[in-house]
Amino acid sequence: MARMNADQERLSMLMSCYLDGELTPEELDEVVHALDADLDAIAEFRKLKEAHRAVSTMPLLEIPLQLLPTGHLDEELSAFLDGELGTAEIPAVAAHLESCGECRMVLMDLDQSRIAVRALPGVESPEFLDVHRQANAESKRRTPAIIALATGVAAVLLAFTVGPLGSGGDQPTISIADLDARHAAVASVPSAVQISNVTPSP
Amino acid sequence: MTRLSRSVLVGTTFAVAFAVLAPAASAGDLEDIITSARDATFNATRITKSVWGDQIEVTDQLVEHWSGGELVKTNSAWTVAGNGRLVTMGEVPSGLVFLTAQTTPEIERYEVGKVTDVTHMHREAERVEIMEGDLKRATLIIDKRSGAVLLAETFNEHGRVFRTIALSDFKPYRMYPEPEDMSSVPVQVIMHTDSDVLPDEVAGYTMVDVFPGPGGSEQGFYSDGLFGFSLFSISRRTAIDGFEDSMALITDHGLYEMVPTARDVRMRWANRHQNFVLVGDIPPDHLEEILAALPTPERDSMLKIWWHKLFG
Repeated sequence: MARMNADQERLSMLMSCYLDGELTPEELDEVVHALDADLDAIAEFRKLKEAHRAVSTMPLLEIPLQLLPTGHLDEELSAFLDGELGTAEIPAVAAHLESCGECRMVLMDLDQSRIAVRALPGVESPEFLDVHRQANAESKRRTPAIIALATGVAAVLLAFTVGPLGSGGDQPTISIADLDARHAAVASVPSAVQISNVTPSP
Repeated sequence: MTRLSRSVLVGTTFAVAFAVLAPAASAGDLEDIITSARDATFNATRITKSVWGDQIEVTDQLVEHWSGGELVKTNSAWTVAGNGRLVTMGEVPSGLVFLTAQTTPEIERYEVGKVTDVTHMHREAERVEIMEGDLKRATLIIDKRSGAVLLAETFNEHGRVFRTIALSDFKPYRMYPEPEDMSSVPVQVIMHTDSDVLPDEVAGYTMVDVFPGPGGSEQGFYSDGLFGFSLFSISRRTAIDGFEDSMALITDHGLYEMVPTARDVRMRWANRHQNFVLVGDIPPDHLEEILAALPTPERDSMLKIWWHKLFG
């Protein structure tokens, strides 16, 4: 079977969401328009509908969760955070994230764990790490999200354990309230007048 | 669109003589309107509402406004802002004073559209449309006597209201003196500097000033004459508080942390070299254009992160 392009993948996903009753009015218009004009889309829709019907009539089984074909994003989330998704993949991933709260939560957890790790004190790593990264950017297999998450947590624990090996200095912290106040003060200069107010919360 | 000069701003009299449904005024009138609004004297309650997607943020403040300054009461604390100075009279009073060398940005993006005489809050006023090309970007209702903006509605790219700033209990005079002890508040004086890091222009916004920020950071202030934002370039080694409950903004360029408020939006992201924080009152479509023009989010590889943790 020929590989679908990004538009086809998006349309397929929208049609699947349509069958699940999860479309916004704008997305519904998009699906209706495609089904009016595109024979391939109609064929794809029929296949999806059959699959949907088959799935909906299957008996419920107690299957281990990790074996369930969830359809959720996994390694794509890690790649998304790393900025390593292909151009054609980004819209599909972004569209899925818009419609899937579960994947958004995983993405946020993954991002928070990385922020926590990154925020720990340290010094610049040698340049060869960046060079290595760039040279292998295309061929590198992305870390599955769950592994990356576990790795992040492990790295945090390890860093606390071996912290004394590092610089050990206090990490400087900036408050967004401080930055907001600075913006308000600068924006209050007459040549920077705006129609909106500029005074921040105290 | 007429290019504007700000050379005749200060002291310009608000002498609008628009007829009902007057034809599009010259863009120079926009400068006069903004200047008069800035110089207006009044006391009022200011209600600000912003819509960010499905999220609505509302705040209200007691405001006393005069030429070049504002005294604002929020949650029983007073703040005085104006002319590059901001003093907060909280439990521990503190202040910032920015010594600016601002260039004067030209308003190329906007012009005054239709002007209509109206009555608002029993006051004679004018409704002024501000156009950004074919898009109505804002509608202002301006008090004829004081020049104050009684109501400002800002529209997004779809023509829907994204922010409303309304004055109620409006009095065209001052009621409170500035806090007497404000002069004794210790202030941090911040001098203008130059930057090799921050861009001179971003998506139609011009950098008008740069200041050193906390922790070795830099603050660039950008304006298009109507809206403005500050872009902070901060070391990757610096932690930034205040985004713990942020929402995720996902664009074609990556994931941004976003904290929308009634008055402004705060964004945070990082590339491999710097943290970036953006604070501003810009419309959502401008925000997207700005983010697209700035360095996009990037993440360190896990190998590099591990190196930091193991070897410091």
